[in-house]
Amino acid sequence: EGPPSCPKGCDRCSEYNGCIKCNPKLFIFLERNDIRQIGVCLPSCPVGYFGMRNPEGNNRCTQCKIDNCEACFSRNFCTKCKEGLYSHSGRCYVSCPPGKHTANNTMDCD
Amino acid sequence: MNNITELPAYVFKKFPYLEELRLAGNDLTFIHPDALSGLHQLKVLMLQNNQLKSVPNAALKNLHSLQSLRLDANHITTVPDDSFEGLQQLRHLWLDDNHLTEVPVSSLRHQSNLQALTLALNRILYIPDNAFRNLTSLVVLHLHNNRIKEIGPNCFVGLVNLETLDLNFNNLKEFPKAIEALPKLKELGFHSNDIAAIPERAFHNNPMLRTIHFYDNPLSFVGASAFQNLSDLRSLMLRGASLMKDFPILTWTNNLDSLTLSGTKISSIPADLCEDLKFLQTLDLSYNEVKQLPSFQGCSQLQEISFQHNHIQQIDRDTFQDLSALRLLDLSRNEIRVIHKDAFLSLTGLTNLDLSMNSLSVIPTTGLSAVIQLKLSGNPQMKNVLPAKNLPKLRSISVPYAYQCCAFIGCDSVTRSAEQTDVKKSTGVEDGEQVSMIMHCSPSPGAFKPCEHLLGNWM
Repeated sequence: EGPPSCPKGCDRCSEYNGCIKCNPKLFIFLERNDIRQIGVCLPSCPVGYFGMRNPEGNNRCTQCKIDNCEACFSRNFCTKCKEGLYSHSGRCYVSCPPGKHTANNTMDCD
Repeated sequence: MNNITELPAYVFKKFPYLEELRLAGNDLTFIHPDALSGLHQLKVLMLQNNQLKSVPNAALKNLHSLQSLRLDANHITTVPDDSFEGLQQLRHLWLDDNHLTEVPVSSLRHQSNLQALTLALNRILYIPDNAFRNLTSLVVLHLHNNRIKEIGPNCFVGLVNLETLDLNFNNLKEFPKAIEALPKLKELGFHSNDIAAIPERAFHNNPMLRTIHFYDNPLSFVGASAFQNLSDLRSLMLRGASLMKDFPILTWTNNLDSLTLSGTKISSIPADLCEDLKFLQTLDLSYNEVKQLPSFQGCSQLQEISFQHNHIQQIDRDTFQDLSALRLLDLSRNEIRVIHKDAFLSLTGLTNLDLSMNSLSVIPTTGLSAVIQLKLSGNPQMKNVLPAKNLPKLRSISVPYAYQCCAFIGCDSVTRSAEQTDVKKSTGVEDGEQVSMIMHCSPSPGAFKPCEHLLGNWM
């Protein structure tokens, strides 16, 4: 565990910016607090973000870049679309793309 | 994040309608085979950041609705063959950041609904043929940060819908020819490997490629036909293929907006380059062996051109004709002796021009009315004084000789500084409004470099 003054899961922190370096395997997420960004360490990233791991251990929560997506696997692959939208190949649609149909009353187009 | 170390049997039996279970960031080492019994509606199970050494296959057996399973950041070394057997709805599987030494081929063989899989940050050495044969719905496959030295020629057979393949940060020595089995591939990464050559027709079966990342490879050869017929490719960046002699054939790769080819032995550029590359905005052909430039007239959207460090000897009238969008032109470190008087005529948007380190004695200034930065140093035969009136927007200029700065900074009010001179120069403008303008000029005149042009050259 990091120094006692640091938040849970944090290896190194500063008074103004919260966590700067998380413990191994955790993701650092920059929470906005007015004009400040506070680093917090999470085992999984919040809605709208995905976790990018790298061997150096500075894993980061990174924003999904897909329209209408709540949770994503990577920058351009959505795993959970917003309410009422259909999912196909990692993207979110108002209705299934041509030639695709929803499968057994899920919101997935196959 | 708690410190749960074990999940006993039937611990969630009171929650039959549970859809998402987050157990990430505990210290789980054991999950009882009946721990997850009754969770028939469970769609998302998060077990990442725990201490599991094996996939809890027995506990997962009846999760028939499960779509997302996170097992990343554990210590998994084994994936029993039946690990995912009961999971017919599984779409997203995270096994990254574990201790796998091989692709769990058997456990994946029934996962025809799987769409996204990451095996990144493991210790995988080899990808066997048919490793992903039945994953016909897979769209994203991450294998980065492993130790992959070799892949079977048919290892990607079956991945007919794969769009993203990430092989970055491995030890591949050969170009991954197995990508031939991926007709829908859009994004491919194999940067930071040990690949020395990209063969001819390398991407002939991947016509939908938009992005290819392959920097940080010891590339010495690239087949001229490697990058043709890639009409969705937007950017091509190739540095240091030191044995590459031929300019790549780019027929039907006609939507490039950025092309970088530097550090090769390419000595000529096809005259019809701009017939294919109408949307090109950035062209960087620096550090090659180009002797002569064709006309770039058709590349009307070009904004930045760099031909730094080639063997170019002259610039013709039509070389940069009609390139009104061009802002940055770097022709430094060539052997340019002659520039046609109208060569810059249509470059109304040019702001930065670098002609330093050439063999010029004179340059045309017609058309350079928008230039802000002009570099001419390292042209020892250029002794004439430049017409400042043709360069009204100039803010920074480097010239071969200090006395040439006097045309720009009025030597009587010069305040000396070691290298260059910042002078506030007032300019009178038509409507009487006085505009103060900072002008950098180097090398600046000084005590030993007076403004008078002594005997035609400096002692």
